This record gives sequence, structure tokens and C-alpha cells, in this order.
Amino acid sequence: MSTATVGDLVSQPYKYGFVTEIETEKIAKGLSEDVVRLISAKKEEPAFLLEFRLRAFRQWQQMQEPDWAALGFPAIDYQDIIYYAAPKQQQKKTSLDEVDPKLLETFDKLGIPLSEQKRLSNVAVDAVFDSVSIATTFKEQLAEHGVIFCSISEAVKEHPELIERYLGTVVPSNDNYFAALNSAVFSDGSFVFIPKGVECPMELSTYFRINSGDTGQFERTLIVAEEGASVSYLEGCTAPMFDTNQLHAAVVELVVLDDASIKYSTVQNWYAGDENGVGGIYNFVTKRGQCRGDRSKISWTQVETGSAITWKYPSCVLQGADSVGEFYSVALTNNKQQADTGTKMIHVGPRSRSTIVSKGISAGHSSNSYRGLVQIGPKAVGARNYSQCDSMLIGDQAAANTYPYIRCQQPDAAIEHEASTCRISEDQLFYLQSRGIGFEEAVSMMVSGFCRDVFNQLPMEFAAEADKLLALKLEGSVG
Amino acid sequence: MVATPTAPTSTGRAGAGDAAWLATLAGAPLPSRRQEDWRFTDLKALTALEPQMITPADPLAAVDLPAGLERLSSSSAAPWLGQALAATASAEHWPVLLNSGASAAQACPLLALRVFGAAGSLDLHLDAGSTAGLATFRLLLVLEPGSSLELLLRPSSSGPNALSLVSEVILAPGAELKLGSLAFGTEESCLFQHTAVVQAAGSRLDHTAVAGGWGLARLEPRILQRDGQAFSRLRGLQVCRGAELADTHTWVRFDGPEGELDQLHKAVADDQARSVFNGAVRVPRAAQRTNAAQLSRSLLLSDRARIDTKPELEIVADDVKCAHGATVSRLQSEELFYLRSRGIASDQAAQLLQRAFCEEVLRDLPAAAASHGPLLTLLGRA
Amino acid sequence: MIRPDAPVLLDIRDLQAAVEDQPILKGVNLTIRAGEIHAVMGRNGSGKSTLSKVLAGHPAYTVTGGRVLYKGENLLEFDPEQRACIGLFLGFQYPVEIPGVSNLEFLRVATNARRAEQGFEELDTFAFEDLVRERLAVVQMDPAFLERSVNEGFSGGEKKRNEILQMALLEPLVAILDETDSGLDIDALRIVAGGVNQLASPDNATLLITHYQRLLDLITPDHVHVMAAGRILRSGGKELALELERTGYDWVDQELDRLAAGGQEAGRTPVEVG
Repeated sequence: MSTATVGDLVSQPYKYGFVTEIETEKIAKGLSEDVVRLISAKKEEPAFLLEFRLRAFRQWQQMQEPDWAALGFPAIDYQDIIYYAAPKQQQKKTSLDEVDPKLLETFDKLGIPLSEQKRLSNVAVDAVFDSVSIATTFKEQLAEHGVIFCSISEAVKEHPELIERYLGTVVPSNDNYFAALNSAVFSDGSFVFIPKGVECPMELSTYFRINSGDTGQFERTLIVAEEGASVSYLEGCTAPMFDTNQLHAAVVELVVLDDASIKYSTVQNWYAGDENGVGGIYNFVTKRGQCRGDRSKISWTQVETGSAITWKYPSCVLQGADSVGEFYSVALTNNKQQADTGTKMIHVGPRSRSTIVSKGISAGHSSNSYRGLVQIGPKAVGARNYSQCDSMLIGDQAAANTYPYIRCQQPDAAIEHEASTCRISEDQLFYLQSRGIGFEEAVSMMVSGFCRDVFNQLPMEFAAEADKLLALKLEGSVG
Repeated sequence: MVATPTAPTSTGRAGAGDAAWLATLAGAPLPSRRQEDWRFTDLKALTALEPQMITPADPLAAVDLPAGLERLSSSSAAPWLGQALAATASAEHWPVLLNSGASAAQACPLLALRVFGAAGSLDLHLDAGSTAGLATFRLLLVLEPGSSLELLLRPSSSGPNALSLVSEVILAPGAELKLGSLAFGTEESCLFQHTAVVQAAGSRLDHTAVAGGWGLARLEPRILQRDGQAFSRLRGLQVCRGAELADTHTWVRFDGPEGELDQLHKAVADDQARSVFNGAVRVPRAAQRTNAAQLSRSLLLSDRARIDTKPELEIVADDVKCAHGATVSRLQSEELFYLRSRGIASDQAAQLLQRAFCEEVLRDLPAAAASHGPLLTLLGRA
Repeated sequence: MIRPDAPVLLDIRDLQAAVEDQPILKGVNLTIRAGEIHAVMGRNGSGKSTLSKVLAGHPAYTVTGGRVLYKGENLLEFDPEQRACIGLFLGFQYPVEIPGVSNLEFLRVATNARRAEQGFEELDTFAFEDLVRERLAVVQMDPAFLERSVNEGFSGGEKKRNEILQMALLEPLVAILDETDSGLDIDALRIVAGGVNQLASPDNATLLITHYQRLLDLITPDHVHVMAAGRILRSGGKELALELERTGYDWVDQELDRLAAGGQEAGRTPVEVG
């Protein structure tokens, strides 16, 4: 590989880095019990939720920021963050026509058209701008099937009994430092409820947009699939380019009852900072699903390309007999990005099965770690796990780390873990080039071939997107 | 053989269950389970020991040294000592601190050997015996360019004591060492075996460590390929039953290009036993064209036993081949059925498969190991 | 060799079996007498291999009905190893590789288990080596294979020869050979078939499970049975196999359709051929 020619290729600038000029209502920087009360009051929340937040806040005050991940970043000043920002529109509009056109334009620019004429026909979208959900499409059509898809603030008002029953039951407020913080100050996010026996008639999608520069984003997503229900859900995210770091600490909880399934896909493209590591999102996310029912299934697919720091382990607690957990991940780091990501598969129920396929690509001066836990409890008779973690290194300055933890307490279980590290070899590139394929294209073919197993898991509309995204992110990194 | 402890013991409950004397000896508090490296390692078998020191017999006194080998005096060994520990970043490891502290407090045999030719084979029995307390050994092997040695170490204990063995090995270019360790203890005994190896380019290390029967066994082979271009073959086998705990933490680092590692670690856990394996492989940028393969295979034979395993690969070099794998399972049912369909009773079939599982590692021990019937000792108990 | 007065070795009556609650065998009837060679033919999924696994006692299969008598005793009560010791042998379609277990030791332990059941003395290492070398000739196998792990790294043909070697050592009364011809080139097939013919005697019986005529060109069956949908659909002499070779299995579908449409229960009444 010729350093001169390839090194000269200039990275495509982050094309979602613009800022929308819009009036926002913000509360003062800093975090205290009063701030937690204020957020709850602004959202006119019932008492149980305020209690939940306050308990979480007190727990968070007692906790330490975790330091075990292979990540390095300057200390976060939690008092220098704004915990609530919302575009100034009095309340959520009943019709899209009433939404500030600037917001609609923003989502248009992001490729997520919300207006009636332009929106995707088979995907319902909940659009979250800074801390607040501004629009949800196809709500009525979904309601006909009994499917609830709305912002979590709205769900708190409309379906408080469901929120009270499920919120915090998968990720308790004291689960970890960032989950506790989220539980105290979460602003908005999506709520999905698929009633018994219903197969959700369309893809559901939430699009998160951070706009303001000094605001933390703390969404909370809760998806419940009752007996025999199924849903496919996708989240996307972008943020403007700032030379400061924004904190994003989300919590996602999935609950799956007997014979139900949730497929949760993420294409994460937060601003990653520049090539010197200035700016970018600190992404500390707790995602966990509980397969409570027999034969229930949770499948996580993630394509992680953005963020300066990623700390994220979408997990499955496989409680039900014959329950299934899956994790398919592509994590790409370039420049000075750092990612410590993976999954936890906690096998509790008999014959529970899990599959982990993780593909890490490290380029530039980045560091990319896979950290995964497969735990087989004493009652998980006949449990099975298969894990495959492959790393691809591009350039000799990038790091690829693999930390697969295996804990087994059940002899009638089988765990298999395989991992390999590879690079794009000159021979392979030469072979492709000798067949007339350009250098960049050859590289992106090899990378997308490397990620194929994961892309195949994405909903079709997004697989091609993900492929392109990866090619874009890698431009100029091979040399 | 029993000396009074130099470290102060606490008064009252006869010292049992009290770790203060160990912390004093080591000059550092005992590792806590809050530390990642000790998360699964319960030290109660160690803290239950009588606070006294054992002066073990000098194992080199009992053997005739083969040609090509000489024993170094403490003073001629001194310049070498500590090098391998420093190079493998293990001088501050608690078991090493304990060994150093105890060695300083109490004369323990320094087994320092310089190998300058094709030295053939040597079999050393490092016995802590049946007395209560702590026995320490320190081994230094310096292999000069082109020299070779086949060494079998047999740490053993037959009583309520702890055996601490710290080995430092320095391999010059072209040196070849086959280092086997066959360690058998009892449910009352503890083993802390730390092996620090520095390999120069062109050297070859075959290290096979087998441990069974210890209430607590902690084995830490740590290898640095100083300039890469060396070959390291690591084999490990730990068999634990009853309430035993066996814990192997390996660490291999390549500080130069074209190094090779071929590692296989096997574990068998039965009854309420606990088996831990942690295998770190570090491939920094200087280590282009490293070829490292690590495989961990564990047999879990009882529903009260536990296996914890964690490979750890850290790679910053793009042109490398690093593969690792891990499996945990019981005996394969198809294999069992095949044997049974040929008339072999199921417990005998299970025994055959367990033996096969172990033999894959045992056959890599130096030839001298065969006469000590390792398989029978490992599996014949029960 | 058919002798109507020869003792019955294996008597299968209305055998039904399932794997993971999925019924596979739906009432198999088959009587095998000493001296006979039977061939069970049928397409993939017809239940042939299940029949062999059930007879050998594979734990993944559950017998849900019927019975199997081996020399008048209830075979289904025995563990897999007891079945082997009393003279039932299964030659596997896919012999499993067992790394680390020496082939020689495995063969010796198995042979001695069978000998103990027969009331013969145990063979020590040396006596066994003599025996095994003699039996190697039956399958023209290189003694080097004895030093290797059981089936590990063996080619398809080598695995099958190793199966027949085991048969030669265990001297079963009823040998069931499951797709022994699959994956063999013509030379290996000849060697394997030669071994089977050499081991056949008036006192024992062989049950060949196969797809194809080509094995039956080398081992002449006395009885041929066609299996479909978990039953024996038709039985006949060796000419039935030749007919199948000519006409294929299409008539099987027609027959199954006819049965499904309300015809008589197939396979319930065994067709006695003699």
C-alpha cells in the first residue's frame, strides 16, 4: 500500500455537522436535587416518577464513574452540563403542520423526512431534537393495531400504568453510574408497546439529534413486547460538530414475554471529533433486554461509527426457557476515536441460546475494544453460546483489544468462542485492483465483506446505508 | 526444618485465618477480590496457614548436574536476578513480593543455573513436605547462546502449607529450553508459581505447566519476547476437584517483530471446584508479523463446579495473525456414544475421554515426567 | 443365505421413535434370522438412519412404541454399551473423531468388553496387538492407523475401514451398517464390501442401510426392504433393489399418496419373503 497516494485522500467531512438556529429553552448548568425536581416539574410528571428520579440521583451521588474500560478521557465535569434543553414550542403539536418548519427542515437535511408527502412509507419515525420528541409519524395507523409508539414523556401522561410497571425493571436505577445519571435526569426518548399477539405492521424508528453545544442528552427508551408480539426497531443519531465534548448517557430497556421478539438495530453516527480528537460525543449507553418469557427473542444489531468515546454493551438476560439472544456488531473507529463495546449474554433459563458476532475495525490512532461476557447460570441446562469476534486493523497506529469473559456454572452447556485479527493484505488488494477495481473501492469491498454477517441483520433499507457510512468513514484512512 | 517466623504474628487465634504475617512478609496487603486479576481467586486456603516458615531441602544437592550446566553462587547470580521479573512487569506482583520477602527473611535455596552447552535433562523435586507453614524456592536459569536444557520441576506438598516458587529465565539468542512443571498438592496446600521468561531473538521456549490437587493453585507464566523473532509454546493443564481452586494467569508480550506463540490451556473442574484462566497477549506496534494463537478448552464435569475464562488480546500492529478461541463444555455426547456403542461402559468411556483430554498437554512435558505417572495422579484420585 | 428354521436374531415389531418430539419411525416391522443379509433402502429422510440409531440406543432418540427383541430379549432395555457387548454392532455413517484417544487402546478396551461378555479372557496388550494385526488384513489397513487418535484426520474411506475393523474385532451377531458406502471411491468400496462378506457367516446377520445399488452389487442381500416416511413400504428379494435402480423412487410417492388417501396401512404387515 502506498502511503503517499492513499494518505493524500482527504477524509470526507462529517456531513451532519451543521447547527440549527432555533430558540431553545434551557435550564441552568449543573446537577442537584433541585434540577431533578425541576425537570420532573417541567414535564408534569406523576409522583412515582419524581420518586424514581430522586432515588436514582441519590444513588448516583454515592457511585464512582467506572474506570475498567480501555478508554482514556479527561474527567467529565458533571456540573458544567445543561441537563434540559428543548426547542421553544409550547407543547407537542397534534399535527406536523404546527411543528416549527426549521425543525422539519433539520430532519429533512438529515435524510429523515417527517412531512406527510416525503416520509418513508413503511417506517414510523419518532424524531427527538435535543431532549424532546418533536414528532412521531404514523401514530394513528399503529394505534389501529393496538401498537403504542410515542415519546416517553407522552407515555408517562397517557399510559402511566405501563411506565410504572416496566420502567427501571430491566436496568435498575443503580445499575451503573451512567444508568443512575440517566434515571435521574432523562428527558425524553421513545416508548413502544406491542400488545399480545400483534406483529407490528411497520418498522419503528427513533432519530436522535443533539443540537445545542453544552447540553447532555439523556434519552430513555422502553420497548415492551407482550406474549407472541414482535417488532423491529431502529435508532439513528447525529450531532453537530463542536470543539467541546457532549455527554450522551442513554438507557434502553427491552421486555419480551413468551414467544415474543424484539429486533433492535442501531446506526450510531454521533459526531466523532476531528482528526486530532477535538470534540465529539461521549457516548455512555446502557442497553439491556430481558427475555422474560419462554421462547422469547432479542436481537441487537449495531453499527457504531461515531462518537469520540463509546462505552456500550447491549445485553440480553435470557430468563425464559428456550429464549434466544443475539448480538451483531460492527464498530469502526478512526482518527482518535475510542470504543469499548460488546455485549453480555446472561443465561438463566434452560436451553437458552445466544450468538455473538462482533466485527471491530480500527484505523488511524483509534482504539477499539470488544468486551463481552457470556455467563451460564446453574439452572441454564442445555444452554448454548457461540461467539465470534474479529478485528481488522488498518495502519499500525490503531489498537484492537479483545476481552471475552466466559463464566460457566452448568456442565450441560456449550460455549464456543473464536476470534481472529486480520488486515487488508496487499495481495488481496492487488488481486482486486488487477481485476480493474479502484483502490478505494477495493478497500471498501473488503471492509464490507468483513462486516457482511452483521449488515445482513439490518433492516434492508439501512443495510446499504450502513455500508456507505462505513466507506465514508474510512476514506483516506488506508495508507 | 521448621524455623520460627521472623514476621510478627498476631496474638490470640493462633494465627490461623489471619493474613497479617503474609502481608508483613510481602510488604504489601494481600490482593483483594476487587482487583480484576484476583476477582475469582479466593485466598482463604492461604490465610488459613500457620504463620511459620519452612526451610525446604535443597533439591540441587540431591542430583548430579549434567555437563553443560553449572550452579551459580548467590553472588555470581546476583547480576541476573530481577531482570526477567522487571522485563515481564511482575516484580510488584504480590506473590513475587511474598517470595522475595520470605526469601529475605529466611534462607531459602537459590537454584541458580547457568547453561552453556547442550545440557540434556534435569529433574528437580521442590518439596514443601508435610509441615505447616510457608516454603519458598527461587530459581534462576540463564541459558547462553545456542545452549539447551530440558528441565522438569516437580513442586509438591503433602501438608497444610504454601509453596512459593519464583522462576526467572533468561534465554539468549538460539537458546532452547523445555521447561516442564508437574505440581501436585493436597486440599490443604497452596501453590504460588510464578515463571518470568525473557526470550532473545531466535530462542525457543516450550513451557508446560500441569497442576492438580491443590486447595489453591495460582500459576503465572509471564513471557517477554524482547526482540520478537522467538518461539514460545505454552501448554497448561489444571485439574481441580472437591473444593479446590486452580487459577492460571498467563501473559505474553512481543517487543519485536515476527514472534510466535502457540498456546493451549486446558482445565477440568469437577465437584465444587473452581477453575480460572486468564490469558493476556500483548502485541504492540513494534511486533509486526507476530503470529499468536491461543486456545482455552475447559471441561466442566459437575453442576456445582465453575469455570471462568478470559482471553485478553491487545493488538497495535496491523500485519499480525492473532487468533484465540475458548470452549467450555462437558464431555462430548457423540464421542461418548461412539465409545459406548463399541461396548465400553459409560464411566470407562468418560475416563478415556478425560485421559485423552489431559494427555494432549501431558505429552508435552519433558520425558522425565512419565516416570511420575502424572495421569494417574491427576485422574486416579477422585 | 436363507434358512427358514434359522434362529431369529432380531425381531422388530411396530417400532415407533421420535427425536425432539418429532416422530420419525412410524411402525417398523422387520425380522432378521441368522445367516441373512438384509438391505434397507430409501431416500434421505425416510427413517433408515434413525432405525439404526434407535437399535444402537442413541440417547437423542426416544422409542414411543413397539418393541425390539434381540435373541428373544428386550433390546430396548439395554444401554448402548450392553447392546455392543451382547453382539449388536452399528457401523456409523459419520464416525466421530475423538482426538487424543488412541485408536489401538480404544479397540482393545472395546474388544475386551465384548470378550468379557462372551466369557473369554481379557487380552493383554501383546495378545491384542497380535489379534488386531491379523484383523487389519480384513480391511487392508495400514497398522500406522492404530497409533493415531480414533478417526482423527482419517479420510472418509479410512474411517469406514476403521469401522469394519472394529466389526472384525467385536464379531457381532447383528451388524448394522449405516450408509457404509457413502463417500467411498470404488477401491475403498470393494475393500469394505470384501470385509463385510468375509465376516458374514451362518451364525450372524447383517443389515445394510443404503441408498444405492452399488454396494449391493458387491454384497448380495437376501432381503431388500424399501423404507419411506418411517415405515417399510415394500419388501422383496435382491431383485427389488434392481427394480429400484431402474425405476427410481417415484412409485414410493404414489404409494404414499395412495395410503394417505385412505388405503391400507403400509408396513404394518411385514411381507415375508422366502
